[in-house]
Amino acid sequence: MSWRDVKKKVKQHFSEMLEIPSDVMLDLPKIVLVGNLQIFLENHRGITEYTPELIRVAVGEGEIEITGKGLQLRNILPEEMCVEGQIKSIVFLGGKL
Amino acid sequence: MLFRIISFLTGYITIIVRGAAPERLINMASTRGIWLWSIKWVSQDKIMVNLRLSAVRPLRHIARETGCMFTVEGRFGLPFLLSRIKRRKTMLMGAFLFLFLLYMLSSFIWFVDVTGNVTIKDSEVLKEARRAGLSAGVIKWNLDTKKVELALQENLSKVSWAGVKIKGTRAVVEIVEKKLPPAADDKRPANILAAKDGLVKEILVLKGHSVVEEGQTVKKGQILISGELPAPEIEGEQGAVEDGPAPEKQPQYVHARGIVNARVWYEGYGEALLVESGIRRTGNSVSRVCIKIRNKEIILSGPENISFEQYEKDISTKRLPAWRNLSIPVEINTEQYFELKPFTEKRSLAQAREKALQSALASVKNKLPAGAKVLSQEVERIDTGTRENIVRMKVLLETLENIGVEKSFTP
Repeated sequence: MSWRDVKKKVKQHFSEMLEIPSDVMLDLPKIVLVGNLQIFLENHRGITEYTPELIRVAVGEGEIEITGKGLQLRNILPEEMCVEGQIKSIVFLGGKL
Repeated sequence: MLFRIISFLTGYITIIVRGAAPERLINMASTRGIWLWSIKWVSQDKIMVNLRLSAVRPLRHIARETGCMFTVEGRFGLPFLLSRIKRRKTMLMGAFLFLFLLYMLSSFIWFVDVTGNVTIKDSEVLKEARRAGLSAGVIKWNLDTKKVELALQENLSKVSWAGVKIKGTRAVVEIVEKKLPPAADDKRPANILAAKDGLVKEILVLKGHSVVEEGQTVKKGQILISGELPAPEIEGEQGAVEDGPAPEKQPQYVHARGIVNARVWYEGYGEALLVESGIRRTGNSVSRVCIKIRNKEIILSGPENISFEQYEKDISTKRLPAWRNLSIPVEINTEQYFELKPFTEKRSLAQAREKALQSALASVKNKLPAGAKVLSQEVERIDTGTRENIVRMKVLLETLENIGVEKSFTP
């Protein structure tokens, strides 16, 4: 177990103990889905790929892949983004998410 | 929504970004706090982005860094709108002219209405108002309504009060007329007839010839004071008649006037049940507003199911007026539901009597004219002899009232 994993474990325990939402403490993305029409993504690290069929968003450790049809970014802010379109799937890629 | 309004005020543009990695541009822009929205993929290496006008300069730096190019596709918002309007000076002038004309035209009085007058003619009032400075075409701010009111009150003798109200471009002159006593110089011959049966108590003849005497019973329609004065009989002339053709005895015709007070009887009947049962409203009600489109009803407010077991329904319908043979099949119904409940009420004999008496009196009071003076009142219970669930009461009222009615006649 590397030093990083130990740090993460401690943080996890700490957040559970104090009941702090884990997205704040652990730097995890918070995803809100509205049907298959909208995705609100908080805590992102920028997009890495964008086509109408596929959007890849970098998050804390790893990436989120959104596939669908006619996808567009409704808005993008440093911490928050909103994707609109016909969403088919959300996949978590890589990292220790 | 607020973001949209602010971007409209600051102005925003749509650009097309071209480059190998437009994603990088988006990332960099968002981390530097440039707000981008409605990001659309156009084709390979080409995306469409909206951004605020103030963010264009920073984005240019970012584009240079990421090796992207962008071209402006559309300009929106207030700054662009203003610059467009600046170029169209004539339109701006037209808009101002329109506002100016609207203001000018609405500062005139276009219509003068007269209300409240019964005997005075509209034209008379309008003429007087014109003299005081109020007529169609007058500028509003030059008009002194107080002055017009005063002039109307002073110059029109039949007016007791006049008010001038200005509603937009319409001036409403409100008139209250003096109540003058009826003209006493009505010369048309008229009789005074009995309006109803009665016993004449007193007669006061102001003009005319009394036909009935005090203490006499009269029938409805009978002449009480005649407008036909018999020709004066001059004694001593009887003898002189023989000489020539007798001067024809010409009766004189007058408009009879007088007061005939008579005793009049009225009968009233009322009944009350000892045990009364039926259905009546409890006072609880529920109202519901529906919109009806063809045969479909949609409830706008109010409960879906009426919780009352028995109820009465009151519907008032509002719909748009039909034009020619076109009518809009939409109407708004306001339904009021009143709860009903069966009830039985038992009364003692005294209570029933009282109730029957009240209803009998009420039925009599309806018939009494305004000036009638009640002399006596007799109450009688109608007893049929059999035991019944009903109490019947009869009331006999004796009143003293003026039974004379003027009726003109042609001699």
